[in-house]
Amino acid sequence: MAVSPVTVGVNVLLLGALYAVVAIGFTLIFGVGGILNLAHGALLTVGAYTAYYLVNAGIPVWVTVPIAGIVAATTGVALYKGMLKKVADNPVSVLILSLVAGLIVEQVFLVLEGAQPLVVPGIVDGGVAVLGTDIELNRLIVFAISWLVIGALFLFVNETKTGQAILATSMSRKGAALVGIDADRVFTLTWVVAAGLAGIAGVFLATFQTVTPLMGRTPLLLSFSIVVLGGLGSIRGSVIGAYLISFLDQITVQYVSTRLAGVSGLVVLVIVLLVRPEGLFGRELTEG
Amino acid sequence: MGGETSEAPTADEEFEERTLTDILDPRGFGWLTRLGLFGLLLLAVLPALQGYGFLGIVVNSTLLANITGAMFFAVFAMSWDMQSGYTGEISFGHGLFFGVGGYASAILQAQMGLDLLVTIPLGMFAAGIAGLLIGFPSLRLQGPYFSLITLVTPIIIIGLFRFAPDVTGGATGLFTETLTTGAVEGYVVALALFLGALVLFLAITRSDAGIVLTAIREDELAVEAAGLNPAKFKLFSFVLSGLVGGLAGALFVHTYAGGFVAPSDLLALVVSIEVIIASIIGGIGTITGAAIGGLFLFLFRVYIAQVDLTVPVIGVPIGEIYFLLFTVVTLVVLFFIPEGVITRILVRTRQRAAAREEEDGGGGGGGPDLATDGGWTEGEPSNLERIVATFTEQLRAVLPGFGDDP
Repeated sequence: MAVSPVTVGVNVLLLGALYAVVAIGFTLIFGVGGILNLAHGALLTVGAYTAYYLVNAGIPVWVTVPIAGIVAATTGVALYKGMLKKVADNPVSVLILSLVAGLIVEQVFLVLEGAQPLVVPGIVDGGVAVLGTDIELNRLIVFAISWLVIGALFLFVNETKTGQAILATSMSRKGAALVGIDADRVFTLTWVVAAGLAGIAGVFLATFQTVTPLMGRTPLLLSFSIVVLGGLGSIRGSVIGAYLISFLDQITVQYVSTRLAGVSGLVVLVIVLLVRPEGLFGRELTEG
Repeated sequence: MGGETSEAPTADEEFEERTLTDILDPRGFGWLTRLGLFGLLLLAVLPALQGYGFLGIVVNSTLLANITGAMFFAVFAMSWDMQSGYTGEISFGHGLFFGVGGYASAILQAQMGLDLLVTIPLGMFAAGIAGLLIGFPSLRLQGPYFSLITLVTPIIIIGLFRFAPDVTGGATGLFTETLTTGAVEGYVVALALFLGALVLFLAITRSDAGIVLTAIREDELAVEAAGLNPAKFKLFSFVLSGLVGGLAGALFVHTYAGGFVAPSDLLALVVSIEVIIASIIGGIGTITGAAIGGLFLFLFRVYIAQVDLTVPVIGVPIGEIYFLLFTVVTLVVLFFIPEGVITRILVRTRQRAAAREEEDGGGGGGGPDLATDGGWTEGEPSNLERIVATFTEQLRAVLPGFGDDP
């Protein structure tokens, strides 16, 4: 199947932005709170199903985006406050409990809706011609919003007092406490932001793929590769990592085999871990 | 404290008597060991009891098949505990070993027509080599990175299998021959494997090598300072765990699974996670806990799926949502008994014994300072806490701000 290079290019740009949104959330939670949240993919699933239910209730897709973000953020905070916070000083428990929590979310949707893929319509209909290839307008919108979100997050972390507090906490919890930063508030805030981003990304992914209970797994695995490639805890590294991974993934899928979707990213992950475990951009905390 | 050298809750009493001379008064908690031995005896004579029933449980081929599966799963859990529970390098993808063992044997049989008696040992060695290939580079990495590598390796393998479906059967699986016919034969194979793995792992973990492995978990630097190479011991436990896991995987495919090998049975993420859950629920770093946890978890999963009840409010039969219930129950147990059920029983019993000891005015013997059976003295950190402490230290090296107390 010959696919136009333009389509591949657009896919790379689009998925790169979307993966970056997911991976930034993942890396924020890890960089600031030290929690490797294996339920991050499940938060994305929560967002996607929220959009699905709302659209079925007659609400326009674009309205569901912020609502899905809020629902996922609430779920994330509940997960953190209710469980992970209590075992936060115990990374092994965090890994296992968050993984099991993610499995529970998958199972809940599997029981409620079954395994069949569900459809959420695009935010906008129609398409535009880019260099002679027809590109869905929805993809362009998703791309633009993803970048707006990433840009807003950059500004938030680097320019606002609250963002500075997040940075400070990720650098040194003791130092942050000394200047009067409430670490607990910062952790909750990072969960709100990260889970909200995952929920929004879930809706986006739902609009041009399908909604299934296991849809969060691939983004979670790619997030691993992305944040390890970019350096754990680095926002800038996550964006660059997301583009490298989406490029590699699309090239593999389009020109080698669709059956290898997601695998090339993991191979990169293993190689980077073995050769340069600090990531391409080293550990630079969460500075943007 | 001599309390650390006492019996684990199952059948290792004889072994302990041979190697460890400092045993506390066995009258104090001999019932735990007796219970374990009785359990093993029951497992051994179960096939002969076919047709009999007691306490409403009838011994039939279904029960035997279920226990066969449970024993395989217990061996999977023990092989995880041998590696992760003792060295503290948590593997999140032990399914790789079961999968490599099972698949290597199945593919060699199905594609090249080799005899099962040849392919099963080959499967075992393939898993051992996989352990060597992955363990050699990755065990030099720090805790969380090792976990990540082990987490993604089986997923990569599944992806590659999908790439070559005519050889591997792809996502659905591959049919091959069976080693045994009938429930009893499969049961006997599983029992032999279960007992063999139990004795082997108990012997190793309760020996000097076990003390070194436990010491690595406690303080790797101290082991290095003593002139021992921790990497060598870690690799040893990883490869050994791979060999046993691979053998179990291969035998599982050709007996319990009826010659059918599928990624979802051996390689899937859920398998690797269930193995960890079983070991943690039983008690990490004990072998016996992993064995008991594995048996119970498997049977719990099988029987909860058959419960003929409908959940009142939503009107869904339990059989349809059993995996959801299973994960929820798991979550609750992990959250409230993080040190594991067996470890908790062990510690409770020892505390009682220690209290009695004090009344009698006797002091503890001079056993080794490390508890290789997962027991610990009150006031000292548990195995999980020790692993966590090491893990946290390694995380701190990655993340400068992590774990600072404000």
